[in-house]
Amino acid sequence: MLPGVIGVLQATEVIKLILGQGDPLVGRLLTFDALESTFRTLKVGRDPECPACGAEAKLDASQVRDMDYQVSCELPIAGD
Amino acid sequence: MPRKYDQLFETVRQNVDEVDVQALKSAIDNGDSKPFVIDVRERDEWEQGHVPGARFIPRGFLEMRIEEQVPEKDQPVYLYCAGGVRSIFAAQALQQLGYENAISISGGFGAWKDAGYPFDIPRQWTPDQRQRYSRHFLIPEVGEHGQGKLLDAKVLMIGAGGLGSPAALYLAAAGVGKLGIVDSDEVDLSNLQRQIVHSTSRVGEPKTESARTFVNDLNPDVEVVGIHERLNASNVLDLVADYDVVVNGADNFATRYLLNDACVILGKPIVDGSIFRFEGQVTVYKPHEGPCYRCMFPEPPPADLAPT
Ligand SMILES: [Zn+2]
Repeated sequence: MLPGVIGVLQATEVIKLILGQGDPLVGRLLTFDALESTFRTLKVGRDPECPACGAEAKLDASQVRDMDYQVSCELPIAGD
Repeated sequence: MPRKYDQLFETVRQNVDEVDVQALKSAIDNGDSKPFVIDVRERDEWEQGHVPGARFIPRGFLEMRIEEQVPEKDQPVYLYCAGGVRSIFAAQALQQLGYENAISISGGFGAWKDAGYPFDIPRQWTPDQRQRYSRHFLIPEVGEHGQGKLLDAKVLMIGAGGLGSPAALYLAAAGVGKLGIVDSDEVDLSNLQRQIVHSTSRVGEPKTESARTFVNDLNPDVEVVGIHERLNASNVLDLVADYDVVVNGADNFATRYLLNDACVILGKPIVDGSIFRFEGQVTVYKPHEGPCYRCMFPEPPPADLAPT
């Protein structure tokens, strides 16, 4: 049952994004505890030094194509 | 002897604010917030073209429906018809409901077209679609306009498993026009306890085909693109580029980092879901508006710790 709850929440977020309605879970992590029957939302913030989306990030398509994600997912630290 | 109607029209007109189409155009283009523009004509008139962003409430339904669409009574509400007559009476009706700024557009849609302003021609619905989406049409947050957006939308699903199954079914039921489904597995009997898009009769089929069978039967408006491959560094960018939103149902770190990097580069949102024992999590990674996966998990775990 738990995958159903989470998958349907994902579908709901997709519909909201397409319609441009409501507050999607951007910067928020929604958790559902099936045993306790509780939902919680945690705020999550951006990392200004993120190697993918930070101000100094230099991630590009050729870098993605050349990486072997099965071996390592590490990106060079921004600014290197 | 003057008709009673002419007297009535003149009396009503004196008490209603009117502006021309130029004023409406600049209110739409320059206003701080989008103005409420209501088209009060009949359906066949609306279907031949309307002011972009206008809402369709035929004159006969105006009093019944306006308060759902425009709850704030002090908001300006622009009303237009074909030539500026019906909208005068419509504005009077709104005044009687307490709207303080009900404005009739003089010259109506005819003047709008004559001025050379752009107009939208709404999607033509088949009788089946009118029935299928009738509940959506009644919800102000969706409506015919929103349903059109859903049918034009392209969603890429990573995995047709535990999370992807219910997500695909609800997206298909809602009328999302194109679902790309990436999965390299075949249906196994042990999947059926939770992967509800598959079925006993389709054990052994590729999950992409099994999901397509179910979705096509649920809603023939939905185009399913089955991608019977593993997501990897050489196909991820081309796949993601064709879609508006990505739904991740794959539960491994490599896929999450790979998908994240492609979506940051291409500016596409990921709706991520995961399950660990009895707890589930959902979040949306929208590039440059919120954190990405790497913002939250900068350090990939060693390969032998990553759950599969
Ligand atoms: Zn980031």
